[in-house]
Amino acid sequence: MKRASVVIAALVVLANPAFAQDDEGPYGVLVDAPGVEETYVNCAGCHSEMLVAQQGLTRERWDKLLDWMVEEQGMWEIEEPERTVVLDYLATHYNTDRPNFPRR
Amino acid sequence: MDRTTPQPLTTDTAGEPSTELPSAGRRDFLRFAGAAGFGALIGTAIPFQRNMPPGYVPVALAQDGLEGKDGLIVLNDRPMNAELPPHLLDDPITPTDRLFIRNNGILPDDMSAEGWTLTVDGLVDTPLELSIDDLRSGFEVVSMALTLECGGNGRAFFDPPASGNQWTYGAVGCPMWTGVRLRDVLERAGVKPEAIYTAHVGADMHLSGDPDKLPISRGVPIDKAMTDNVLVAFGMNDGPLHPMNGAPLRLVVPGWPGSCSQKWLTRIWLRDVVHDGPKMTGTSYRVPNRPVAPGEEVDTADFVIIERMPVKSLITSPETGAAVGETVEVRGHAWSGDRTISRVDLSYDFGATWVEAELDAPVNEGAWQNWRHTVTLPQAGYYEVWAKATDSEGVAQPFGIDWNPKGYLNNSLHRVALTVS
Repeated sequence: MKRASVVIAALVVLANPAFAQDDEGPYGVLVDAPGVEETYVNCAGCHSEMLVAQQGLTRERWDKLLDWMVEEQGMWEIEEPERTVVLDYLATHYNTDRPNFPRR
Repeated sequence: MDRTTPQPLTTDTAGEPSTELPSAGRRDFLRFAGAAGFGALIGTAIPFQRNMPPGYVPVALAQDGLEGKDGLIVLNDRPMNAELPPHLLDDPITPTDRLFIRNNGILPDDMSAEGWTLTVDGLVDTPLELSIDDLRSGFEVVSMALTLECGGNGRAFFDPPASGNQWTYGAVGCPMWTGVRLRDVLERAGVKPEAIYTAHVGADMHLSGDPDKLPISRGVPIDKAMTDNVLVAFGMNDGPLHPMNGAPLRLVVPGWPGSCSQKWLTRIWLRDVVHDGPKMTGTSYRVPNRPVAPGEEVDTADFVIIERMPVKSLITSPETGAAVGETVEVRGHAWSGDRTISRVDLSYDFGATWVEAELDAPVNEGAWQNWRHTVTLPQAGYYEVWAKATDSEGVAQPFGIDWNPKGYLNNSLHRVALTVS
């Protein structure tokens, strides 16, 4: 199916460290810290990591957002302990103080 | 998706995404992706692959979709969501290359007008299957300047932050749209008396890749659908619709959240209930039914559907941060959903005094109104110009944000910084 192949092609381009932009690491605009890989592979399958990096949420709201992604948006269940790793990463680096809000 | 057959409206929210790669496979694929070669993706070997510079994406795979757009700030590149800085929205009528992009799903493969079909069904006397040629030849074709604004425009300034794309100012525009009136199409089909709401379906695909899920399907009350300035549009600014703005066919419902204006439109279904498609329910495009404190948890049952967008204005010249002379023309646009603007006032002394700007009438109902005023700043130094629009119901823009959990309807004053040296 053409559309699926284009999507997967895009995923490969986005996921390939050699093809990231100069000022970005292998995980795009996400801050490079423990948990970034787990966060990237669970989130960037369906949407850009740019959507993640724009948010500033409490841990509780990130937790609910992950549930909503599974219940409403067709995301796979993230098994433990990986789910906690992702949640820790998001709550630490993309909290309501927005320490890593993307520069415009 | 077979566009010639009416599709059942799927609001299924459970289940695993169905794609060519099962989810676990897709995840592993992402992990593995760094080692994958482009040749496999393109379907043939790349003899000179070693010559490709670092960061090079073969043009066969390049698909950013921003051809024909200019100056957009990308908030999210998959799905593409991009806005304009205010100073690039200075045109009285928004050019195609400067209309924002707000996508929920994956674009359709085929956006050619030929073979495209609009189905009108549900509570109608005669269901219709219309090609774009049928629309052009069977109904009065009109061109109207109509304001579209994303319901989340201004979300970036919410504190505590609200989730979603962090739009600042530029998810708004007023292009000249060409199409036929939705009312005329619905009257041709014959609206049954029990129809109270429309349901809109587009050809874009859910981000999960699941063909049984719709990325978004919203609707409007039948009375709104039957107003004169709701268009089924197949053109903008004397050209085709931009692919990222819904080519080849879309709805334009001016003055209501942009999500009512379904892109890549394939079906309009009339219902006897408030439509419950994806992003109609829960807290999507809804606000609390009462004032709430910033950060307050609000029960989902207390959310109501957003209808008209509130009174708002934008200063499009000068650009914020500009160095100007003591005399400078300040100009921009103002709009209020389903209403007109009665006045726009400017202040350059932090709101202590205000002066009324020259205000144009809308070029047609549903268009924003352009305004301008030459300000004389008394001496060298730092100034802020604030703009405040007041609509035909006497409602003016607030200084602060009426905070709500999902970050909608921020119509607080636009302020630009100016320096006189």
